Amino acid sequence: MNRNTNNASEVGSVLLDVGAALMSSGASTHRTRLTLERLAAGLGFKIELLITQRALMMTVIDKDQEHFFSRLKRTSPHRINFKMVSGISRMSWRVLEQNLSINDIAGELKRLKSLPNYLLWIELGSVGLAGAAFCHIFGGGFIEMIVAFTATFLGLFVRHQAVRKKFNLYVSIYFASLTASLIAGLAEYYHFGSHPEAAFSTAVLFLVPGVPLINSVTDMMDGNIHNGLVRMTNGLIIALAIALGVFSVRLLLTF
Amino acid sequence: MEIVEIITKSIAAGIAGIGFSILFNVPQRTLLPIGIISAIGGMVKFGSMFLGIGIVFASFLAAIIIGLVSIRMAHYKDSPPLVFYIPSVIPMVPGYFIYKMMLGIMSLTSVNNTDVYIQNLIDTANNGTKAIFILISLGIGVAVPMLITRKETIKKITPKQE
Repeated sequence: MNRNTNNASEVGSVLLDVGAALMSSGASTHRTRLTLERLAAGLGFKIELLITQRALMMTVIDKDQEHFFSRLKRTSPHRINFKMVSGISRMSWRVLEQNLSINDIAGELKRLKSLPNYLLWIELGSVGLAGAAFCHIFGGGFIEMIVAFTATFLGLFVRHQAVRKKFNLYVSIYFASLTASLIAGLAEYYHFGSHPEAAFSTAVLFLVPGVPLINSVTDMMDGNIHNGLVRMTNGLIIALAIALGVFSVRLLLTF
Repeated sequence: MEIVEIITKSIAAGIAGIGFSILFNVPQRTLLPIGIISAIGGMVKFGSMFLGIGIVFASFLAAIIIGLVSIRMAHYKDSPPLVFYIPSVIPMVPGYFIYKMMLGIMSLTSVNNTDVYIQNLIDTANNGTKAIFILISLGIGVAVPMLITRKETIKKITPKQE
């Protein structure tokens, strides 16, 4: 394995791709930094990084300190994808243990990007079951669980459709929240079940911005206060979008 | 009776955890461990609430246990800990209290009767503070084991490199 053939610009572009993929799949700032530094060290380079929520800046420095490569890359917000985070993490160990080359890294990244998601129906069904399980935790009976399942199922479906039609992220979440709470609200309106508010309050839980909020706390604990604040604001806007959907249904039903 | 309820609610938490992990597109080999971790978290939370611990501290304890188990599981299943702990913590997000708080705020804009208003204010403040503190304790509870064990992990890694 001849390491000298790697030039700084090639390494820099591939590492930026890896970093952008990590950030948009929901990894924390510290993990992104750690992974990129591990990869660079494995390839025999030193890097300096600036990580923000929407862009990455990287300078790659050759071992001989003569060649530099600097570039800025935008990271696009994607859906959360832990297969990507997990796959890149495994790969970063292999770089150290098996001396992977830069082409191997690029190939592995391409393979990870092409991995299929879970089928839509499986996803809708299992998240619907999760909604029903939530409803049980908050004291709902069998009928309320069916209502929560239906509301979650259709709400998530609406969110998928809205994202596919290129609606704004927060608007898609509003649509999903509106759909889910409309179904649960109608069930409450027509007195389905004995404890209908359990279904109403758990129907929108699948939209809860758990990843931004938890990553926000993690980032701030690691000292990445700036990224933590950005993530927290993002989570709060999502929560606001959910709340607006619930409010709209409440207003509709009180007429 | 109570014990049965704790167990069924923990199983429900496990199912909810698996549902969310599919939403987050986790690798298939981690699905079952995530379900088990979520159920363990639910058991700790509902168990400690059964013993009379408040919901905020119970959530904190459960989040710490989830963080610890996730780190061990990360070594077995070769995936970073966050793949395990984020879906497992989400069943404990206080959606019900947030919802009650929002309803309370809405009623505060329209009630005229003073007694009812004060009762609503008390309930809204109670639900809102519970929701916020549960959220914070979940976030920090999960982070605590990570912060403590990070040094150990690095020690284990260094000899492997050489």
